[in-house]
Amino acid sequence: MRPRIPALAPALALAALLAGATAAATNAPANAYCYIGWPADGAVLPAGKPFRVWFGLRNMGVAPKGVAFENTGHHHLLIDTGLPAAGQVIPSDRNHLHFGAGETETMLDLPPGTHTLQLLMGDDQHIPHTPPVVSKRITITVR
Amino acid sequence: MRHTIVPALLLAAILHPGTAPAQPAQATAQPAHAPASVANNAPGSAQVYFIWPHDGSVINGGKFWVRMGLRNMGIAPKGTAVPNTGHHHLLIDTGLPSMTEPIPNDRNHLHFGAGETEARIELPPGTHTLQLLLGDKDHIPHKPPVVSKPITITVK
Repeated sequence: MRPRIPALAPALALAALLAGATAAATNAPANAYCYIGWPADGAVLPAGKPFRVWFGLRNMGVAPKGVAFENTGHHHLLIDTGLPAAGQVIPSDRNHLHFGAGETETMLDLPPGTHTLQLLMGDDQHIPHTPPVVSKRITITVR
Repeated sequence: MRHTIVPALLLAAILHPGTAPAQPAQATAQPAHAPASVANNAPGSAQVYFIWPHDGSVINGGKFWVRMGLRNMGIAPKGTAVPNTGHHHLLIDTGLPSMTEPIPNDRNHLHFGAGETEARIELPPGTHTLQLLLGDKDHIPHKPPVVSKPITITVK
Protein backbone atom coordinates (compact mmCIF):
# COMPACT_ATOMS: atom_id res chain seq x y z
CA MET A 1 0.00 0.00 0.00
CA ARG A 2 2.73 2.46 1.01
CA PRO A 3 4.30 3.06 -2.43
CA ARG A 4 1.00 3.76 -4.15
CA ILE A 5 0.53 7.37 -3.07
CA PRO A 6 4.03 8.57 -4.03
CA ALA A 7 3.63 6.69 -7.29
CA LEU A 8 0.50 8.64 -8.16
CA ALA A 9 2.01 12.09 -7.69
CA PRO A 10 4.35 12.07 -10.71
CA ALA A 11 1.60 10.53 -12.83
CA LEU A 12 -0.74 13.37 -11.95
CA ALA A 13 1.98 15.93 -12.59
CA LEU A 14 2.56 14.44 -16.04
CA ALA A 15 -1.19 14.39 -16.75
CA ALA A 16 -1.38 18.08 -15.84
CA LEU A 17 1.57 18.80 -18.14
CA LEU A 18 0.04 16.83 -20.99
CA ALA A 19 -3.31 18.59 -20.57
CA GLY A 20 -1.32 21.78 -21.06
CA ALA A 21 -3.72 23.82 -18.95
CA THR A 22 -5.18 25.29 -22.15
CA ALA A 23 -7.79 27.73 -20.95
CA ALA A 24 -7.49 29.70 -24.20
CA ALA A 25 -9.66 28.77 -27.15
CA THR A 26 -8.18 26.66 -29.92
CA ASN A 27 -7.34 28.34 -33.20
CA ALA A 28 -9.20 27.34 -36.34
CA PRO A 29 -8.00 27.87 -39.92
CA ALA A 30 -9.40 31.14 -41.27
CA ASN A 31 -10.87 29.34 -44.31
CA ALA A 32 -12.68 26.68 -42.27
CA TYR A 33 -16.28 26.50 -43.41
CA CYS A 34 -19.12 24.82 -41.60
CA TYR A 35 -22.57 24.39 -43.11
CA ILE A 36 -25.76 22.37 -42.87
CA GLY A 37 -25.76 20.14 -45.94
CA TRP A 38 -29.32 19.02 -45.32
CA PRO A 39 -32.03 20.19 -44.78
CA ALA A 40 -31.98 23.29 -46.95
CA ASP A 41 -32.84 26.72 -45.57
CA GLY A 42 -36.61 27.17 -45.79
CA ALA A 43 -37.34 23.45 -46.08
CA VAL A 44 -40.80 22.25 -45.07
CA LEU A 45 -40.69 18.83 -43.45
CA PRO A 46 -43.51 16.46 -42.50
CA ALA A 47 -44.38 16.32 -38.78
CA GLY A 48 -43.92 13.06 -36.90
CA LYS A 49 -41.23 11.88 -39.25
CA PRO A 50 -37.60 12.12 -38.07
CA PHE A 51 -35.32 13.76 -40.59
CA ARG A 52 -31.59 13.59 -41.14
CA VAL A 53 -29.34 16.57 -40.57
CA TRP A 54 -26.06 16.36 -42.38
CA PHE A 55 -23.07 18.35 -41.06
CA GLY A 56 -20.76 19.87 -43.67
CA LEU A 57 -17.21 20.97 -42.90
CA ARG A 58 -14.46 22.16 -45.20
CA ASN A 59 -10.80 22.94 -44.62
CA MET A 60 -10.96 21.38 -41.18
CA GLY A 61 -11.36 17.92 -39.70
CA VAL A 62 -13.52 16.17 -37.12
CA ALA A 63 -12.16 14.74 -33.88
CA PRO A 64 -14.08 13.39 -30.88
CA LYS A 65 -14.27 15.37 -27.63
CA GLY A 66 -11.13 15.25 -25.56
CA VAL A 67 -8.95 14.76 -28.63
CA ALA A 68 -6.59 17.67 -29.24
CA PHE A 69 -5.56 17.39 -32.89
CA GLU A 70 -4.58 20.38 -34.99
CA ASN A 71 -7.35 21.95 -37.09
CA THR A 72 -10.11 19.70 -35.77
CA GLY A 73 -13.20 20.00 -33.62
CA HIS A 74 -16.57 18.38 -33.21
CA HIS A 75 -20.02 19.46 -34.26
CA HIS A 76 -22.68 21.06 -32.06
CA LEU A 77 -26.18 21.60 -33.38
CA LEU A 78 -27.99 24.63 -32.02
CA ILE A 79 -31.78 24.30 -32.17
CA ASP A 80 -34.06 27.30 -31.70
CA THR A 81 -31.37 29.27 -29.93
CA GLY A 82 -28.76 31.92 -30.66
CA LEU A 83 -25.01 31.53 -30.44
CA PRO A 84 -23.68 30.78 -26.95
CA ALA A 85 -20.94 32.85 -25.34
CA ALA A 86 -17.59 32.87 -27.10
CA GLY A 87 -14.66 31.36 -25.22
CA GLN A 88 -16.88 29.29 -22.97
CA VAL A 89 -18.02 25.68 -22.95
CA ILE A 90 -21.02 25.20 -25.22
CA PRO A 91 -24.05 24.29 -23.05
CA SER A 92 -25.32 20.73 -23.32
CA ASP A 93 -29.11 20.62 -23.35
CA ARG A 94 -31.98 20.07 -25.76
CA ASN A 95 -31.14 23.29 -27.59
CA HIS A 96 -27.43 22.50 -27.85
CA LEU A 97 -26.75 18.97 -29.08
CA HIS A 98 -23.17 17.74 -28.77
CA PHE A 99 -21.64 15.29 -31.20
CA GLY A 100 -18.58 14.42 -29.19
CA ALA A 101 -18.21 10.97 -30.71
CA GLY A 102 -17.20 12.54 -34.01
CA GLU A 103 -20.57 12.13 -35.70
CA THR A 104 -21.08 13.92 -39.01
CA GLU A 105 -24.86 13.53 -39.24
CA THR A 106 -27.85 12.92 -36.98
CA MET A 107 -31.59 12.25 -36.99
CA LEU A 108 -33.87 14.92 -35.55
CA ASP A 109 -37.54 14.79 -34.60
CA LEU A 110 -38.94 18.27 -33.95
CA PRO A 111 -42.49 19.29 -33.00
CA PRO A 112 -44.65 21.11 -35.58
CA GLY A 113 -43.72 24.73 -36.05
CA THR A 114 -40.86 26.89 -37.26
CA HIS A 115 -37.38 26.02 -36.04
CA THR A 116 -33.90 27.38 -36.48
CA LEU A 117 -30.82 25.20 -36.87
CA GLN A 118 -27.19 26.26 -36.72
CA LEU A 119 -23.93 24.36 -36.46
CA LEU A 120 -21.08 25.45 -34.23
CA MET A 121 -17.76 23.66 -33.97
CA GLY A 122 -16.26 23.14 -30.53
CA ASP A 123 -12.71 22.14 -29.69
CA ASP A 124 -11.65 19.17 -27.56
CA GLN A 125 -13.05 21.00 -24.51
CA HIS A 126 -16.35 22.01 -26.24
CA ILE A 127 -15.20 25.62 -26.53
CA PRO A 128 -15.77 27.44 -29.85
CA HIS A 129 -12.60 28.06 -31.87
CA THR A 130 -10.91 31.37 -32.62
CA PRO A 131 -12.29 32.49 -35.02
CA PRO A 132 -15.55 30.60 -34.38
CA VAL A 133 -16.44 28.00 -37.01
CA VAL A 134 -20.16 28.45 -37.32
CA SER A 135 -22.70 27.78 -40.04
CA LYS A 136 -25.37 30.03 -41.40
CA ARG A 137 -28.49 29.80 -39.25
CA ILE A 138 -31.28 28.17 -41.24
CA THR A 139 -35.02 28.12 -40.67
CA ILE A 140 -37.16 25.07 -41.32
CA THR A 141 -40.84 24.41 -40.89
CA VAL A 142 -42.26 21.17 -39.54
CA ARG A 143 -45.92 20.61 -40.27
CA MET B 1 7.87 -2.23 -32.74
CA ARG B 2 10.55 -2.76 -30.14
CA HIS B 3 11.80 0.82 -30.05
CA THR B 4 8.27 2.13 -29.47
CA ILE B 5 7.52 -0.25 -26.63
CA VAL B 6 10.78 0.24 -24.76
CA PRO B 7 10.29 3.99 -24.11
CA ALA B 8 6.73 3.29 -23.03
CA LEU B 9 7.96 0.78 -20.49
CA LEU B 10 10.69 3.16 -19.36
CA LEU B 11 8.13 5.90 -18.91
CA ALA B 12 5.90 3.56 -16.95
CA ALA B 13 8.88 2.68 -14.77
CA ILE B 14 9.66 6.36 -14.20
CA LEU B 15 6.07 7.10 -13.36
CA HIS B 16 5.93 4.39 -10.74
CA PRO B 17 9.18 4.67 -8.77
CA GLY B 18 9.41 2.25 -5.91
CA THR B 19 6.39 0.32 -7.10
CA ALA B 20 6.67 -3.40 -6.82
CA PRO B 21 6.95 -4.89 -10.30
CA ALA B 22 3.90 -7.10 -9.95
CA GLN B 23 0.98 -5.13 -8.57
CA PRO B 24 -2.32 -6.23 -10.08
CA ALA B 25 -4.23 -3.06 -9.19
CA GLN B 26 -1.67 -0.93 -11.03
CA ALA B 27 -1.57 -3.24 -14.01
CA THR B 28 -5.28 -2.88 -14.67
CA ALA B 29 -5.07 0.89 -14.26
CA GLN B 30 -2.46 1.16 -17.05
CA PRO B 31 -3.67 2.83 -20.23
CA ALA B 32 -4.23 0.41 -23.07
CA HIS B 33 -0.95 -0.29 -24.81
CA ALA B 34 -2.73 -2.52 -27.30
CA PRO B 35 -0.67 -3.96 -30.14
CA ALA B 36 -0.87 -1.65 -33.14
CA SER B 37 -1.88 -4.49 -35.43
CA VAL B 38 -5.26 -5.13 -33.78
CA ALA B 39 -8.05 -3.54 -35.83
CA ASN B 40 -10.86 -1.80 -34.01
CA ASN B 41 -14.28 -3.32 -34.13
CA ALA B 42 -16.99 -1.38 -35.93
CA PRO B 43 -20.69 -1.42 -35.05
CA GLY B 44 -22.59 -3.70 -37.41
CA SER B 45 -24.89 -0.80 -38.31
CA ALA B 46 -22.03 1.47 -39.42
CA GLN B 47 -22.40 2.69 -42.97
CA VAL B 48 -20.07 4.79 -45.10
CA TYR B 49 -21.39 6.33 -48.32
CA PHE B 50 -20.94 9.09 -50.88
CA ILE B 51 -23.11 12.12 -50.24
CA TRP B 52 -21.58 13.53 -53.42
CA PRO B 53 -20.98 12.67 -56.22
CA HIS B 54 -23.75 10.23 -57.06
CA ASP B 55 -23.15 6.98 -58.89
CA GLY B 56 -23.15 7.76 -62.60
CA SER B 57 -22.45 11.48 -62.21
CA VAL B 58 -20.94 13.30 -65.16
CA ILE B 59 -18.54 16.01 -64.05
CA ASN B 60 -17.34 18.79 -66.30
CA GLY B 61 -13.85 20.09 -65.77
CA GLY B 62 -12.53 17.30 -63.57
CA LYS B 63 -12.41 19.22 -60.26
CA PHE B 64 -15.05 18.40 -57.71
CA TRP B 65 -15.76 18.05 -54.01
CA VAL B 66 -16.19 14.56 -52.63
CA ARG B 67 -18.46 14.61 -49.59
CA MET B 68 -17.99 11.59 -47.38
CA GLY B 69 -20.95 10.38 -45.32
CA LEU B 70 -20.86 8.16 -42.26
CA ARG B 71 -23.72 6.76 -40.19
CA ASN B 72 -23.74 5.14 -36.76
CA MET B 73 -20.07 5.83 -36.25
CA GLY B 74 -17.82 8.86 -35.72
CA ILE B 75 -14.72 10.44 -37.23
CA ALA B 76 -11.41 10.61 -35.41
CA PRO B 77 -8.02 11.61 -36.78
CA LYS B 78 -5.31 9.00 -37.33
CA GLY B 79 -3.60 7.83 -34.16
CA THR B 80 -6.71 8.51 -32.07
CA ALA B 81 -8.03 5.51 -30.14
CA VAL B 82 -11.71 6.27 -29.49
CA PRO B 83 -14.24 3.41 -29.76
CA ASN B 84 -16.52 3.39 -32.81
CA THR B 85 -14.48 5.90 -34.77
CA GLY B 86 -12.22 5.87 -37.80
CA HIS B 87 -11.12 8.09 -40.66
CA HIS B 88 -11.99 8.14 -44.33
CA HIS B 89 -9.92 6.72 -47.18
CA LEU B 90 -10.90 7.34 -50.78
CA LEU B 91 -10.05 4.57 -53.22
CA ILE B 92 -9.74 5.83 -56.80
CA ASP B 93 -9.69 3.44 -59.76
CA THR B 94 -8.63 0.51 -57.60
CA GLY B 95 -10.13 -2.49 -55.85
CA LEU B 96 -10.28 -3.06 -52.12
CA PRO B 97 -6.90 -3.46 -50.39
CA SER B 98 -6.09 -6.02 -47.69
CA MET B 99 -8.60 -5.88 -44.84
CA THR B 100 -5.96 -6.74 -42.23
CA GLU B 101 -3.11 -4.39 -43.16
CA PRO B 102 -2.71 -0.61 -43.28
CA ILE B 103 -4.39 0.89 -46.32
CA PRO B 104 -1.74 1.87 -48.89
CA ASN B 105 -0.99 5.57 -49.20
CA ASP B 106 -0.66 6.57 -52.85
CA ARG B 107 -2.59 8.36 -55.60
CA ASN B 108 -5.15 5.55 -55.71
CA HIS B 109 -5.62 5.48 -51.94
CA LEU B 110 -6.13 8.93 -50.44
CA HIS B 111 -5.96 9.20 -46.66
CA PHE B 112 -7.96 11.70 -44.64
CA GLY B 113 -6.12 11.29 -41.39
CA ALA B 114 -6.88 14.81 -40.19
CA GLY B 115 -10.55 13.89 -39.79
CA GLU B 116 -11.69 15.50 -43.06
CA THR B 117 -15.21 14.76 -44.25
CA GLU B 118 -14.87 16.48 -47.64
CA ALA B 119 -12.09 16.62 -50.20
CA ARG B 120 -11.40 18.56 -53.38
CA ILE B 121 -10.39 16.03 -56.05
CA GLU B 122 -9.16 16.49 -59.59
CA LEU B 123 -9.29 13.60 -62.06
CA PRO B 124 -8.39 13.39 -65.75
CA PRO B 125 -11.13 12.95 -68.37
CA GLY B 126 -12.55 9.44 -68.53
CA THR B 127 -14.46 6.98 -66.39
CA HIS B 128 -13.36 6.53 -62.80
CA THR B 129 -14.42 4.38 -59.88
CA LEU B 130 -14.57 5.77 -56.35
CA GLN B 131 -15.03 3.86 -53.13
CA LEU B 132 -14.79 4.85 -49.47
CA LEU B 133 -13.13 2.67 -46.86
CA LEU B 134 -12.90 3.61 -43.20
CA GLY B 135 -9.61 2.91 -41.43
CA ASP B 136 -8.87 2.76 -37.72
CA LYS B 137 -6.21 4.79 -35.92
CA ASP B 138 -3.53 2.69 -37.66
CA HIS B 139 -5.19 2.94 -41.10
CA ILE B 140 -6.35 -0.67 -40.88
CA PRO B 141 -9.94 -1.47 -41.96
CA HIS B 142 -12.35 -2.23 -39.12
CA LYS B 143 -13.94 -5.55 -38.26
CA PRO B 144 -16.30 -5.83 -40.04
CA PRO B 145 -14.92 -3.45 -42.72
CA VAL B 146 -16.84 -0.20 -43.13
CA VAL B 147 -16.82 0.25 -46.88
CA SER B 148 -19.07 2.07 -49.32
CA LYS B 149 -20.60 0.83 -52.50
CA PRO B 150 -18.18 1.58 -55.37
CA ILE B 151 -19.48 4.31 -57.66
CA THR B 152 -18.56 5.17 -61.23
CA ILE B 153 -18.25 8.74 -62.44
CA THR B 154 -17.34 10.24 -65.78
CA VAL B 155 -15.12 13.28 -66.12
CA LYS B 156 -15.54 15.29 -69.32
